[in-house]
Amino acid sequence: MINKPMNDDNTIIGETIIVRGELNGEENLTVLGRVEGQINLAQDLYIEETGIVKADSSVRNCVISGILVGNITASERVEIAPGGRMVGDISAPRVLINDGAKFRGSIDMGDLESAGSPPSKPSYTSRSYRSSTTSTTTSTRPVASAPRPAPAPAPRPAPAPAATPAPAPKKEEPNREDAAKAEAEAKEKAKKPSPKPDDKAADTGIKKKED
Amino acid sequence: MSTIIGSSIRISGEVEGSEDLVVHGTIQGKIELQSDLLVEPSGNVEADVYARNTKISGTLTGNVQADERVEVTKDGQMTGDIRAPRILISDGAQFQGNVDMNAPRK
Repeated sequence: MINKPMNDDNTIIGETIIVRGELNGEENLTVLGRVEGQINLAQDLYIEETGIVKADSSVRNCVISGILVGNITASERVEIAPGGRMVGDISAPRVLINDGAKFRGSIDMGDLESAGSPPSKPSYTSRSYRSSTTSTTTSTRPVASAPRPAPAPAPRPAPAPAATPAPAPKKEEPNREDAAKAEAEAKEKAKKPSPKPDDKAADTGIKKKED
Repeated sequence: MSTIIGSSIRISGEVEGSEDLVVHGTIQGKIELQSDLLVEPSGNVEADVYARNTKISGTLTGNVQADERVEVTKDGQMTGDIRAPRILISDGAQFQGNVDMNAPRK
């Protein structure tokens, strides 16, 4: 995963600390306490298990192992760890919601047509998540920052996009990544009614979340 | 475990807690701690501070009330009033304000 250096360049909000207001910065932020208000970071936000954030955030990467209430906009990726809970909207090109996470809100991955391809390495994990023995993902950071041509992503089997559209209760998607994908596909299909859904679906890189 | 506010972080609001706070960045607003506040040389605090001990090696603008002690080191610059039973202002420190060593905290 992203190496979080334990030096002065990594800001840590301790467990007993409450910050109310606006927090801006150009470095990583690890929250073990409570932050209310607004967070704007040029780098990454890690909400650990004891962390509670009630704020709208704008960051690069975000890993939620605690509680986030508020909207998050990430320029790279949002991950909700198995113990994480989030209520709010996610706006990020890549989203990972682990099994066991709780989520209520909407996900907007932006322009799916021009979306990049899936990363070559498995997802990175938060520091505490990684220490869990049941974690099976490795801790390397994906090199997805280098965009690859659109045809590269693994093609999804054709029947899948043509299958049922997104389930009616869009909001209730606690830990079903598939439901989120189906919703994205349904939106995609609604935007462009094409006679060959399988071709379009293969090219849009919707399955970039699939690892 | 202490809370560390990195050098590129700017907080505008209130910070309260019961653990040590080390500030390399900027805090504007109000700080209320049951424990110690350390303002490092790169730190800039524009806030009224309530803490147990306060050690200022950076810049602090605001009033400080401490349960135990306020220290301004030789790199420190403070503008504001100090209310604490013990103080230490080192040679080289810059300080402007009042000092009241008799008043109880709060």
